[in-house]
Amino acid sequence: MSDHLKQAGLSFLRQLARHAEPIMEAYLAGSIADQALESGVRERLLKDGILYRPEPGADLHLRRVVRALLEEALRDDRNRRIDANTGSALATFKTLADHYKEAHHQGDYAAAEAYLGDLKEHVYAFGETLSHGIRVLWSRINNEFGYVGTLDAKIRENELAQSQVSELLAGLELVSFEVLAESAGDLRELRHLLVTNLQRTIGSCAQELSIVQGRLLELLGRFREIRGRTRLIKGWLLHLTQHPEYQVGPHAAGSAIPALVNRAAPALAPASLSLHDPTQEAVLLALLAQVRSLHPRESRVQALAEAPALTLTVPDDFEVRSSTTRAAVAAYFCEVIDSGEALSALDYRDSRSLPWDAESWLYQVLGGYEGLPEEQKRHFELETIGEVHPLYSGNFIIRDLRLWLV
Amino acid sequence: MLSTKGQVIERLLGGAFICRTRYEDSWRFLRIPANREQVDAYLGQLNRLVVTIGTGPDTEVFFCGYRTLGDAERKKLSEQFRDICQALTPLVEWLVLVQDAAGQDAPLTEGMPVRLNELQTVIEDTPAFREQLGHICRYSLFKSTRVDVDGQIKLIFKRLCDLGYLIRPNTEKQIYLATGKLDYLYEVIRFIDDAEGLNLDGQAESAIQGQLL
Repeated sequence: MSDHLKQAGLSFLRQLARHAEPIMEAYLAGSIADQALESGVRERLLKDGILYRPEPGADLHLRRVVRALLEEALRDDRNRRIDANTGSALATFKTLADHYKEAHHQGDYAAAEAYLGDLKEHVYAFGETLSHGIRVLWSRINNEFGYVGTLDAKIRENELAQSQVSELLAGLELVSFEVLAESAGDLRELRHLLVTNLQRTIGSCAQELSIVQGRLLELLGRFREIRGRTRLIKGWLLHLTQHPEYQVGPHAAGSAIPALVNRAAPALAPASLSLHDPTQEAVLLALLAQVRSLHPRESRVQALAEAPALTLTVPDDFEVRSSTTRAAVAAYFCEVIDSGEALSALDYRDSRSLPWDAESWLYQVLGGYEGLPEEQKRHFELETIGEVHPLYSGNFIIRDLRLWLV
Repeated sequence: MLSTKGQVIERLLGGAFICRTRYEDSWRFLRIPANREQVDAYLGQLNRLVVTIGTGPDTEVFFCGYRTLGDAERKKLSEQFRDICQALTPLVEWLVLVQDAAGQDAPLTEGMPVRLNELQTVIEDTPAFREQLGHICRYSLFKSTRVDVDGQIKLIFKRLCDLGYLIRPNTEKQIYLATGKLDYLYEVIRFIDDAEGLNLDGQAESAIQGQLL
């Protein structure tokens, strides 16, 4: 009998090996078309129960057991199936235990031994199924449900996993050791198998499941928070488009100020260096060197390269006219450098009560900006504030200028 | 050289947000209750204390708040709140743009990277994103007069780094990390949502369902 079974099993496994390629194709694609297989091969695979046809006219699919074998061997993440059917396993235990007891009482030790072997197989398989289920859950948690794309899908996957955990836990609650101990009676081996062994398995599984449940809840919380944030910012924009005149209320002005708004203004100003501290001399010199390097260095090199023939002539008389406008423009630029903030040209003119009218002052500032050497100019940005001429296109009327450091 | 404690105090008084991404040492230091008490005691002399936001175990953000509120402090808080409210909309628009352009489910939060080059490529190739970027640039928070995507996006990222919403860990690479200040922004929106009963969440959800239908 067992020899016959062995032969049949071996031929089944060889069958699998011989047709490994179509089987893997069916596994990866979900199904395989009739035409992809030779008719002889197709018949054999169908007959051996490796492939089946779910409905007439449909493509061939892998049988669940073969698929489960592959999922298990490949540790495939897509494996979502968890067997939580404790009830039927318990009923099987009880039936087999009764068979064993009966055979034992009748003195049929060979039959009793066979029943015990069978029972052992079932109990071990039960433990194995449980730990497999838990491992599947962990692998899904560990890659954070990375096999589905969107956040909503992740949340749904998480909910599925949670329901599976609850089912597994509910199944474990069905196991009553009193009943098992009763059906084991006073037979030592049966007690060992049904009580001691099972208790150990279920204890560790229940513990691990509660950890899994905790992690799942934590992940779900995080997913929900991320989704909440997306909705928060999208909702904010939506609210603003629907209520363009909306202004945030004065939440920082009431008597009770929430901790969130309580943010102290920066209180530290940069400290100055002590010039008399010899320990800082090296640092100071380095700083000084940096200050110098800001000055144009290329000009000196160029002067050497393009030195013209030197002729001595009487220099023409010329007069350097000091212009108060130019000085004022320079002062405006210095103010921008000192404050480090954007400053409007007209605001500056008003604050210093400079005598020029707006237009000529703006011209002077524009001229001053354009007149800067290129390498100083790139440290500034000048913005022209104004509007397009209502009648003539291509004309832009400048009302004000704003200058800041880049 | 300053001790870690000194550094933490300096950063807090300088108005910085201390989060894991930006100042990991200081953040670890402040997470220990005894250290936080010490810092609190020191700041107490300046009428200040350490404030925390964030609920998760690894997402706390610390900053400096006032211990007692006088008129001057209230005025400061009002000003600051007004400033942050003005910055909210441009920042939120930018966050949505980054999220949409990257095709992600999650908006930027502390510690998440943004690759400027990838973002730029997507925005340059998509007219709708380009338009959105131009719109964001017109806010006074960013005040850019540039018209090219390259200039606009670099200016925005530079401004966000200056404002402390992003950091650039390696100056040779165009990879930026979001800081805890962004998380603060979400908290502010959530707070306004709660305080004014705007139901932003529900509005967004009904809009999404509307799109699906």
